[in-house]
Amino acid sequence: MRKQAEESTRTEEISRRGEPEEALEGCSGGYHSGTSIKNFTEEGKFMANKRKLSRAKAGKEIEGLDTQTFLAAIVESSDDAIYGKTLEGAILSWNHGAERMYGYSAEEIVGRPVSVLVPPTSADEVPQILERVKRGERVDHFETARVRKDGQLIDVSLTVSPIRDASGKIIGASTTAREITEQKRLREALTVRAKEILDVSTPVLQVWEGVVVAPFIGTLDTQRAQQFMERLLDKIVATNSSVALLDVTGVPAIDTRTAQHLIETITSVRLLGAQAVLTGVRPAIAQTLAHLGINLADVVTRSSLAAGLRVALDVLHLKISSQDDEA
Amino acid sequence: MTNQNISVAKVRDTLMVTMPADPDDVTVTIFQEEVLRAMEKYRPKGLVLDISVVETLDSFFARTISETSRMVALMGGRTVIAGMRPSVAITATQLGLTLGGTLTALTVDRALDLLTQPHPRRRLR
Repeated sequence: MRKQAEESTRTEEISRRGEPEEALEGCSGGYHSGTSIKNFTEEGKFMANKRKLSRAKAGKEIEGLDTQTFLAAIVESSDDAIYGKTLEGAILSWNHGAERMYGYSAEEIVGRPVSVLVPPTSADEVPQILERVKRGERVDHFETARVRKDGQLIDVSLTVSPIRDASGKIIGASTTAREITEQKRLREALTVRAKEILDVSTPVLQVWEGVVVAPFIGTLDTQRAQQFMERLLDKIVATNSSVALLDVTGVPAIDTRTAQHLIETITSVRLLGAQAVLTGVRPAIAQTLAHLGINLADVVTRSSLAAGLRVALDVLHLKISSQDDEA
Repeated sequence: MTNQNISVAKVRDTLMVTMPADPDDVTVTIFQEEVLRAMEKYRPKGLVLDISVVETLDSFFARTISETSRMVALMGGRTVIAGMRPSVAITATQLGLTLGGTLTALTVDRALDLLTQPHPRRRLR
């Protein structure tokens, strides 16, 4: 039982075949994806066949099953934990997914307060959630921690919706919980990895006393640009450098934003009291910068890092001489 | 934080001012007044403003620095800002605060070098 769009598509197809266009009734609880019609096929209870569907009369039979049983079966077969509770928090129903997720059987937990699932540090959550549900609000994709029967903590994403009776009065709450421990772990690993990549790809190297080189690899997004700027400026201060060579040989494409970041970096370097030289400006980059109308009039630029180094030595009043000269 | 003590030191032919950590508007104004008074008294070649302990640079401070630098120039001197912190530099750039054409130096030492040399080292093209 997925989104509205899919349901109406089914309805359209049915009516095209000239059959009665009754769609399945929705439920007023907060049900999410996860139901597998395939389960039904395997158990022989329901055939995922549109023609058979079309024979359903509104609210009546589907291949021998009444709608209520059918909907209950959907809940039971869901991978997500789906459970209903009273407005006071006592658990009324507990599906198979909940048994697997939390480790409690339905018999063990029905009637007990939902707070047995909540770790002591988050004890306030339950009354807060129930308050919102009583007001008719839905708590959507709330990420938090819950505790299993064996004491293990799991990360879950909860959606809690009010259950209304036929008159519209709120009589309880229904919760769908999805375990996101793995997802969360992967998300955190990704963040760590992203940071590692950032660290690795924005090195600032001292190439001589008073000269630092910052070779750009790849593209410069705002986060990298910020990190890069801070790193470069810190290095300039730490090494007491007079010149910073910003090498863009490794930058494949330069867009307005990257150019802006570069100019900001150069300005900051100047404010510190060092000279910034943009090196490795290849024809393609030069062309793009000219087309973008970026004004680099007061920025020293060179086409190669070597040429930039020459500029740096000049600033420091240094020159490189051959060992043979000193014979 | 009101710090009324802005002392302007004369080091050879240069004026040296060390800005306190978190100067408020009053302090910044006093800084300018003291500099002008010292300019008149000593007629130095230049001014070194040491901002190595300053953590925040607001627009008023930036503007006052630019103004002071222009006044010093009008009186025949040159100004160098020394020791700007990386975080201050980044913030200033992102806020678009320029210090006009004021010279900058990594350290007070270098600032003095800049002012005592006949031609600035950093002239470049």
